[in-house]
Amino acid sequence: MADAAAPKRVTRRTFLGWWMAALLTSTVVTALAPLLLYLWPAPPKSQKKGLLTISVPKPLSQLADGEALKFDAPSNPNSAFIMADGGGDNAAGELAFGGYAVNNKGKIDVFAITCSHLGCSIALNEQARRFDCPCHGSRFNLDGTVLRGPAPAPLSHLTWKEGTDPNTIQVDGIVLGF
Amino acid sequence: MAIPHPRDIQLAVVNWLDDRYPFTKAVDEALYQRVPNFANAFYYCFGGMVFILIVLQLLTGVFLSFYYVPDAGTPGNSPAYNSVLFIQNTQYLGWLIRGTHFWGANLLIIMVLIHMARVYWTGSYRAPRELNWIVGVIMLLCILLLSLTGYLLPWDNKAYFATQVTIKIGGLTPPPQLGALIREILQGGAVVGPATLQRFFTIHVFLLPALIVLLMYVHFRFIRAHGISEPM
Repeated sequence: MADAAAPKRVTRRTFLGWWMAALLTSTVVTALAPLLLYLWPAPPKSQKKGLLTISVPKPLSQLADGEALKFDAPSNPNSAFIMADGGGDNAAGELAFGGYAVNNKGKIDVFAITCSHLGCSIALNEQARRFDCPCHGSRFNLDGTVLRGPAPAPLSHLTWKEGTDPNTIQVDGIVLGF
Repeated sequence: MAIPHPRDIQLAVVNWLDDRYPFTKAVDEALYQRVPNFANAFYYCFGGMVFILIVLQLLTGVFLSFYYVPDAGTPGNSPAYNSVLFIQNTQYLGWLIRGTHFWGANLLIIMVLIHMARVYWTGSYRAPRELNWIVGVIMLLCILLLSLTGYLLPWDNKAYFATQVTIKIGGLTPPPQLGALIREILQGGAVVGPATLQRFFTIHVFLLPALIVLLMYVHFRFIRAHGISEPM
């Protein structure tokens, strides 16, 4: 009698109900899920990561203290640089379409051009020895650290090495393939 | 606590919605309609099949538009043609979506003609249903225009020259001044070119689908107003 009075947690009817619901749901999902994959774009066939060769007006070793070179990612084929680190709006692995090579008291740094606040392109302010962002007034020291906000994080570095020709550098990047 | 049956959850959701708007009542009024026994024959399903095919065309069309680029580009380098190649050969299931859109379009015309033949044979076009016949014929023209405009979009040789022929036929409309005007408007220029592709794309993707959905609504409201016609 005591058993009959206590309601069962799972009745046969409830079990079969859930069984049917699961069966129907999985059938519909199996049929429709491939269509969601269709919406996931296939990367272009010619897309590939690698070192991008960039021509520079003079070898980076000849940059004077406080001097910086601005360079763009090649547009033919359409390419972008890959950030090596980042913070704020930037992150390691994200793309930038330009960069700055700068000599800061003898140390050569290569930065992605995007501000860590909202991704505008920073510009060199040679007299003041800093980078200024035109959008919201962020300022960066030549070593990439924040001098004034709203930028929350230092500039992102680009991975680079000297090219075989002294007037080129090789920067880590991606050929977009479109 | 006892585990609820799935139906209890379903009821809870429906009740929540019904407390805020009478959905159940609206759906019941729209869908629960007694079908007379004489309409219980397979040839009364052709109109519904046309409807399903049109819905299929709308869905696959939206899916295609995620990748199709309506840009003729330059000779030898056409984004439109390349994007169709991409859908067909590279994108996962792209061949299926495009194939369904292609064969659905062909089937649609066949089903429309069969539906029309049934309406003719059962005399369902007669008073007071003439307006519905007229709306149906306008939709037939819409579907033929959709086929015509869709044919150009792959922007290959077949598409280009087929469209050149159809536009020439349209240009034969008398008097010659009117024919020339029609040709100019369809082509968007002196020859079939990038402007034609842009126009046909807009007509195919925005204009005609919106029109046909509107007309379908009118068509169905007429059917509800008249009821299914009795056989002769």
